[in-house]
Amino acid sequence: MRALQVLAGLLLLLLPQVVRSDFVLTIFIFTFILGVAAVSFNLIFGFTGQLSMFHAAAFGISAYVTQISMTRFAIPFWGSLGCAVLFVLVVSMIIGTICFRYRLKEFYFAVVTLAFAEMARLVVLNWNSVTNGSLGIALIDKPKLWLPGLGEFTLAGTSTWYYVGLTSLAFTLFVCRRVLNSWVGRCFGAIRLNDELASTLGINVFRYKLLAFAIGNAFAALAGVLYAWYIGYLEPDYLSIPQSLAFISMVLLGGSGSVVGPVVGALVLTALPHIIQLSAEARVMTYGAVLIFTILLLPKGIWGTAAVLLKRLPIAGRAKAAKSSAPSVELR
Amino acid sequence: MSLLSMNALTKRFGGLCAVNEVKFDIEPGEIVAIIGPNGSGKTTLLNLVSGLLPITSGTLLWKGANIGDTSSHERSSFGIVKTFQNPLLFGELTVEEHLRIASHLRFKRELGWRRLAEIVGASRRIRQVHEGIGVHLEEVLRMCRLADKRGTQAESLSYGDEKMLGVAMALMCEPELLLLDEPASGLGQDEVENLDGVLRDLQRSGVTLCIIDHKVGFLGKLADRALAMANGSALAAGRTQDVLRNPLVVEAYLGAGHA
Repeated sequence: MRALQVLAGLLLLLLPQVVRSDFVLTIFIFTFILGVAAVSFNLIFGFTGQLSMFHAAAFGISAYVTQISMTRFAIPFWGSLGCAVLFVLVVSMIIGTICFRYRLKEFYFAVVTLAFAEMARLVVLNWNSVTNGSLGIALIDKPKLWLPGLGEFTLAGTSTWYYVGLTSLAFTLFVCRRVLNSWVGRCFGAIRLNDELASTLGINVFRYKLLAFAIGNAFAALAGVLYAWYIGYLEPDYLSIPQSLAFISMVLLGGSGSVVGPVVGALVLTALPHIIQLSAEARVMTYGAVLIFTILLLPKGIWGTAAVLLKRLPIAGRAKAAKSSAPSVELR
Repeated sequence: MSLLSMNALTKRFGGLCAVNEVKFDIEPGEIVAIIGPNGSGKTTLLNLVSGLLPITSGTLLWKGANIGDTSSHERSSFGIVKTFQNPLLFGELTVEEHLRIASHLRFKRELGWRRLAEIVGASRRIRQVHEGIGVHLEEVLRMCRLADKRGTQAESLSYGDEKMLGVAMALMCEPELLLLDEPASGLGQDEVENLDGVLRDLQRSGVTLCIIDHKVGFLGKLADRALAMANGSALAAGRTQDVLRNPLVVEAYLGAGHA
């Protein structure tokens, strides 16, 4: 599986050199950016077991905060992005503290986070003087980036955004994997499986739930800013419930049991509506049908099922036997 | 100084007084039994001590310090660990994975904030701690007679082994005071004897035990002292055999005609 992932990474790195089609590369850019949000959502949902409905809100709030700090406080793009992530972290801490102090779980947690997300959306929708309400804001100025060897360049053009998206996704996957492979991941897994038992084993359930919620939302914030500046347009729909549902669909479709799974979900749900030319209504129906099909027939998602099938191959069996002496705890 | 002192410990659920002004001390190294008929408040008392339920009034002292306001994970880190009557487990994980998770407190105790290095990339110190935990894990597996089931998923274990896994997880927390809620209930004779051996090994290794059970024969041989409860109140306390012969205790268990 590891070799397959490295191979996929290399192929993705070289893809813009081979494929010149803007259509294909655009699908990949959306996959990468939405993949960041889906992977981070899975940290809260799949690994810690908390169904947060605040993910789209974190995704949208950060884009608005970035835009406001750029235009009102003249902070450069990357500084504003930092401010936005910080702002989302603080908001997540407040909401998380309220939810987890009162020990809200499952549907109660989902409903309360949904209420906070709706509050955020309504503020954005109605605070016309700052957010321009339902008309949204066109983001005309493209951010600039300085890199050693390349100098300063503007983030414009498909291949530039392709690498920005890919780097962000690789960074998110790397951080999530490191976190999940450490003791923090063991605590997340214990909380997901049985938080009362986790607490009696000395795990500070409140702290680790808050940590998962904050890290997840911080990455959603990064994804939101990239998404808005790639599209060049910002609107209150970023914070909407269907946007949160899209992240949930990506995770369920790709597989909530692995770090990479949600990226596969993001790819399918991004590519599908573009490949099959459908009207908006038919597109939503296709989404629903794909989701129902997956939940019924592939409960582990596409990636989870592929991993199970791969393990059955004789070559994978030998590799597993050789590795079995390693003292690891695979919680998912 | 007593290891744990309960002073006028009370728990009310609305109008129901589940634990009523219980006063009892537990000394280091002893095995203490809490007995009483169903509904007498034994499990509630243990939940108050382990922090799973908040105390309504009274004080709880751990080595002289008041711990009444602390949460359950903090009490685990002090060394007060509880097992459950119906074992709480992480169903889909194996026995060994359970014990790895249960080593959280030791990992935290030995490394403090240096455990953050595990996120960046394992350092030599972290590897050493994991090796130390591995040695402890083997000891616990052996002590709890679970070594041959290390790779078994918890949901496939027999009821007796599930209970033993509960004890094993508590041991990974390196407790000073282990609270056992009906460890022998639902076990066959062989399994009870096995449990008896495990608990005696534990006492020898310096762990103080506080056990609730209805198997009076099992507790009578094992416990040094006992506290008998009825309707939330302490009925009698003292040497186990004396408490078991106390007419008030016999009456509470079997009715007035037997006292």
